[in-house]
Amino acid sequence: MSDELQRQGRTLQPSGIFQPAVIEDIQTKAETGLYRIRGFGTLRQRRWATFDDLTFLPCSLTRIPLEGYREKCSTATVLGKRHASKPIRLDIPVMITGMSWGALSYNAKVALARGASAVGSSNTTGDGGMLQAERENSKTLIYEVLPSRYGINVHDMRRADAIELTIGQGAKPGTGGLLLGSKVSDTIARQRDLPVGVDQRSPARHPDFLGPDDMIIKIEELREATDYQVPIFVKMGASRVFDDVKLAAKAGADVIVVDGMEGGTGASPAILQEHTGIPTLAAVCEARAALEDCGLYGEVQLIIAGGIRDGVDAAKAMALGADAVYIGTAALIALNCNKALYVDDYQKLGTEPGFCHHCHTGRCPVGVTTQDPELMQRLDIDQAAERIASFLRVMTLEVQMLARACGKSDVHDLEPEDMAALSLEASAICGIPLSGTRKIFGI
Amino acid sequence: MGEVNCEGRSTQEINAEIKQQIKKGATEILVRNPGARHNLGVAILERVTIRLDGSVGYYCGGLIDGPNFEIAGSAGWGLAESMMNGQVVVRGSAGNGAAAAIRGGTVVIQQDAAARLGVSMKGGTVLVAGNCGYMAGFMGQKGTIIVCGNAGEAFADSMYETVCFVGGRISELGTDAVVEQPSGSDAEFLDSTLAHHLPPDLRKSKPAGRDFKKIVSGRKLWNFDKREWKTWQEAL
Repeated sequence: MSDELQRQGRTLQPSGIFQPAVIEDIQTKAETGLYRIRGFGTLRQRRWATFDDLTFLPCSLTRIPLEGYREKCSTATVLGKRHASKPIRLDIPVMITGMSWGALSYNAKVALARGASAVGSSNTTGDGGMLQAERENSKTLIYEVLPSRYGINVHDMRRADAIELTIGQGAKPGTGGLLLGSKVSDTIARQRDLPVGVDQRSPARHPDFLGPDDMIIKIEELREATDYQVPIFVKMGASRVFDDVKLAAKAGADVIVVDGMEGGTGASPAILQEHTGIPTLAAVCEARAALEDCGLYGEVQLIIAGGIRDGVDAAKAMALGADAVYIGTAALIALNCNKALYVDDYQKLGTEPGFCHHCHTGRCPVGVTTQDPELMQRLDIDQAAERIASFLRVMTLEVQMLARACGKSDVHDLEPEDMAALSLEASAICGIPLSGTRKIFGI
Repeated sequence: MGEVNCEGRSTQEINAEIKQQIKKGATEILVRNPGARHNLGVAILERVTIRLDGSVGYYCGGLIDGPNFEIAGSAGWGLAESMMNGQVVVRGSAGNGAAAAIRGGTVVIQQDAAARLGVSMKGGTVLVAGNCGYMAGFMGQKGTIIVCGNAGEAFADSMYETVCFVGGRISELGTDAVVEQPSGSDAEFLDSTLAHHLPPDLRKSKPAGRDFKKIVSGRKLWNFDKREWKTWQEAL
C-alpha cells in the first residue's frame, strides 16, 4: 500500500499514538468484546538492554586462549547440590523448559524428551502432569508442581529426577496458565480432570501455600515425598527478582529458575506478554546479586530462561551468573515451529511462516502446538528428536567456542570480566564497563 | 499395632520410622505426641491406618495414596493436599486449603474448615461437619464438597464440575456459582455419607440430606463469551 502511494507521489502521515496497529487493535476489541489472546511471547521490538548489548572480550596478551577447536572445555553441569542426595548431572548446560502436554502435542513432547536425552540434557513436564512416554524417553526429567496441580500424581513425582515448584513464568508472571478450548481434547481433558472443550484458565496462586514462609514447609513436604533424594527447583517469572530470589533461596530451594519477560507461552492475554516482567538480561544480574547478598551464590544453582536463542545468549547468561539455561521457544522452532511447510495452513490462520504466534488456536500447521491428530502427525518424532539433539549440540559448541576464546577450560568459568557492554544501559544493569571507556555506568 | 513417638525427633526421622514400620508389615500405627509438626505422614502409599494422638501442622497426609489417617486434634494448612486415595479424618478443625487438589479419597473434618477448602479438587469427597471459610471450592474440577454448617464468602467460585452441598447459610456465592434444587438421590447420598462418616451423636445435630442446598457451576466461565462480560469482569 505505502509503495503504491509513494508511486502516486502521496505521503500519508500516521498518528504517532494511534498507529495502524493500534487502530486495528482498538477496532478488534470493539468488535469482539474480548481482550487479545495469543501465544509465542512478546512481539515488541526490543528497545531494552538485551544480551545483544554485550560482547565477549576474548584473550589476546592479557589472557591466553584455549585451542578453539581442540582443547577440552567441560560442559558438565551439576544442579541441586545443596540438599539433595542425588543432584542432577547433565552433560550440557542447556535444558528444555517446562511446556505442557496440552499446549504441545504428544509428538512434540516425546521428541523434546528424546532429543534432550540424546545429548545428556534434561526435559521438564508442564501444566498437566507427566506423560508416560515423556518419562520413558527422558534420561533426566524435571517434574513441575504448578498452582493448578493438573495431573498431580505422587507416583509420577517420585519417578522424577527433580521437582520444580513453579511460582510463575516469564511471559506472564503473576498469572496462571491458559489453554483454550480448542486444545482441551478428550485426552487432555481426561489428563487434567476438566470438561472437554473448556477454556482452561489455571490459578495464579498455589492452593496450599501463599507466601515464602509457607513455601519453606511446602519445599520440605516435597522433600519428604521424594525421600530427600532429588533437588527442589523454584521457578519464578522475573519481576522483583532481587527480593524473590533471596526469599526462594532462604526457603530452601536447591536451584532457582528465573524466567525473563522474553519467555514464551502457549497462550496468554497479549498485554501480559508485552507489559509485565523484566528482561532476561536484567533478571540474571539481579538474581546473581541476590544470591551473593545472602551468601548463597554457588551453593544455590541458578537457571536462566526467557528468549534464549543460541549458544551466545547462553554463554552470556552463564558469564553473568547462570549455571545453566532453559530453552523453550527456541526448542519449538528447532522442532519446526514457523517453518515454511504447509504454507496454506499458515495463511488460513491469517499469518505466514516466520510470523506465526497462533499456538493458542490449536491449529499449528507443523504439528507442534496442536491436539489435532492430523496436524500432529506432521511432526515425525524421530526426525524432530534428531533436530532437537542437533540444536542442543550446536548451542553447546557455541558456548564452548566462546569459553575457549576467553581462556576457559570449563564453560562455568565464564565471568562478567569476559565481556564488555555495548550500551550504557547494559553497563549499568550488568556492572560491566562500557566498551572503550573502562567505566561502569550507573555506579 | 506399631507405635512412633514424635518427642525429640525431627519430621524426617518420624516419617522414616512410619515408613519403616509399614515395610515391616504394620497395618496400624499410633503416632504419639505429634506436637503440631508439619509434614507428618506425607506420601504414604500403602493401605495402612495411621492414628495421630494430637494436633498436626501443615500438609499432614499430603500426597498420599491409600492410607487411613485419624487425627485426634486439629490440622494445619494443606491437610491431605493432592491425595489420590484413602481417608483422612480430623476430630478438630482444619486450616487453610484442606483437601486442596485432591484427586480421590475422602477427607472428614468434624469441626470447622478455614479458607479455601477443597480448592482445585479433581475428585474425592470432603465433608465438614461444621462451617467453612472464604473461597471454598474455588476452581473445583470434580468431586464433592459437603459443608453441614455455614459457608463463607466467595463459595464455589469459578468451578468446573465439583458439586457442593451446604446445610447452613452461605455468606456469598462465588462468581458463576448457582444454587440448584437437590434431587432425591442427592438427599439419599448426603444421608448415607453423613451416616457413614460422622459419629452418631454428631450426625444427629446436622441437617437432613433433603435440607441441604446444592451448588454447582453456572458454566458461564467455561468459555470466553462477550455476552457474559460482567461475569468475566468479576472473575478476572
